[in-house]
Amino acid sequence: MACKNQYHQENGVIWRDVYELKEEIYPHRERAFYSLACNHCENPTCLNVCPVVAYYKRDADGVVVHEQDKCIGCGNCIRSCPYGAPRYNPVLKRAEKCSFCWQRLDDGRKPACVLGCPTDALQIVDLAEFDEANAVQYPAGFPRYPALNPSVSFRLPAMPKMIRRKL
Amino acid sequence: MSEMELPLVIFTVLSQTAVGLVAISAIRQHAAEGPAGSVRPEWMTAALLLIAGLVASLFHLGHPLGASLAIKHLGSAWLSREALGTGVFTALVIAGLLSARGRVNAGLSFAAAVVGLIALFFTGMTYSPPGFPALNNVMPFVFFLLTAAILGAGFASYFTPAEKMPLITRILTVSLIVGLVVYLVVPCLWLSGGTVMRQTGLNYISSPLYWARIIAGLIVPLLAVWRMKTVPAWAPVLVLAGEIMGRIAFFSLAVHASANMGGIY
Repeated sequence: MACKNQYHQENGVIWRDVYELKEEIYPHRERAFYSLACNHCENPTCLNVCPVVAYYKRDADGVVVHEQDKCIGCGNCIRSCPYGAPRYNPVLKRAEKCSFCWQRLDDGRKPACVLGCPTDALQIVDLAEFDEANAVQYPAGFPRYPALNPSVSFRLPAMPKMIRRKL
Repeated sequence: MSEMELPLVIFTVLSQTAVGLVAISAIRQHAAEGPAGSVRPEWMTAALLLIAGLVASLFHLGHPLGASLAIKHLGSAWLSREALGTGVFTALVIAGLLSARGRVNAGLSFAAAVVGLIALFFTGMTYSPPGFPALNNVMPFVFFLLTAAILGAGFASYFTPAEKMPLITRILTVSLIVGLVVYLVVPCLWLSGGTVMRQTGLNYISSPLYWARIIAGLIVPLLAVWRMKTVPAWAPVLVLAGEIMGRIAFFSLAVHASANMGGIY
C-alpha cells in the first residue's frame, strides 16, 4: 500500500508484492511471507539485457534505476529478471520497476515501503557490514541466482510456539 | 505460462527460414557440382521473409519508432547484437539478390550464410534469459538452428534443380530426424529439473499444440520425404505450420522463475 500511495501505479502494475510461503517450506498457513520488490542486484540482468540502455546502477548506493522515457517496451528485462521485478505498464507501453525511492534516499528519507511497514519487516542494511547468524541471501522459496547476486538478506522465520492447555 | 508473443513467433521463424535458405543456397551453388537452380527467386524469397519478419517484430515493441535505438547496448545486450546481426544479414541478402547473375558470388554467399548463422546465435542467446530456467541454456539456439535447417531445406526444394534434389532431400531428412529426437527428448529432460523447469516440461507434454507440432511438423513430413525420396511441394508448408506451432509453444509454455515464489525451487 505504501508503494501504491507513493507512486499510484496503473492497476495490475505491482512493484512490491507479498508472497505467502507454501506449506512445504513453512508448515503454518498464512503465517510467513516474503515481501519482494526489485533486489537491486550487484550484476543486474535487467541492466545487462536492455538494448536501449534504459537502466543504470548508482555508484553511491547500488540502486538500479530504470529511466522509463528511454524504454521502448521490448519486454526483454521482464523476461530476463528471475525475480519478476520489472513489470509492463500497459498504458505507457513501457517497463517499470521499484526505484528504491532513490529520490527519497537522496533527500535523507527512507523508501516508502520501509517507512510504511508496521512490523519493521523491511529494513535498509549495509550488506558489507550486515552479519547476522539467522540471515541468509537465498532462503527456501526465493530463487537462487549467484550470477546476479541480489542485494538482499532474509531473516528466517521462526516456528510459532504451540501452547496447549494440560488435560 | 507466458504470452504467445505472435510478433516474435513470426519474426524468429521467418528470419531463421531465411538463414537456412541462404546457407543451403550457398552450399548448393558452390559446394556441389551441377546447375545452381533458381538462385535469384530464392534470394528474393529470403529477403522478403526477412523484411516481413522485421516488420512483424516491430509490433512486439511498445514504441516501434524506437526500434533503431535497439543497437545501443552492444556491449552486453544480446538483443542489441541480434538487431545488428539481423540487419547486416538482411543487407547481405539484398546485396546478393541485386548482384545475382545466375549465381550469387561465392564470397558473398558464404559471408551471408556465416553472418546469418551468427545472427541466429545472437537470437538464441536473447531468448535464453535467467527468468526461464528451462530455456536459460543452449537449447533456444539449438531449436532455432533446427528451424533454420528444417525450413531452409524445405523451402530450398522449390528452387533446387532435379539433379540436386537428392542433396536437399538428405539435408531435410536428417534435420527432421534430429529435430524429432531433440523435441521429444528435451521436455523429458526438463521433467527431471527443479520445480519451474519440471512445470515447463509438464506444460509441454500435456499441450495439444506440442503434439500437433510433433506430428504435423515433424513426423508426417519425415514419413513423406522418406517414402517419396524427394520433397513433395506440400511438405514445406506443413513444416512451416509445425515450426510456427512449435514457436508459439516455446513462448507460451515456458514457466517464469518468479511464478513459484514462496515455493520450493
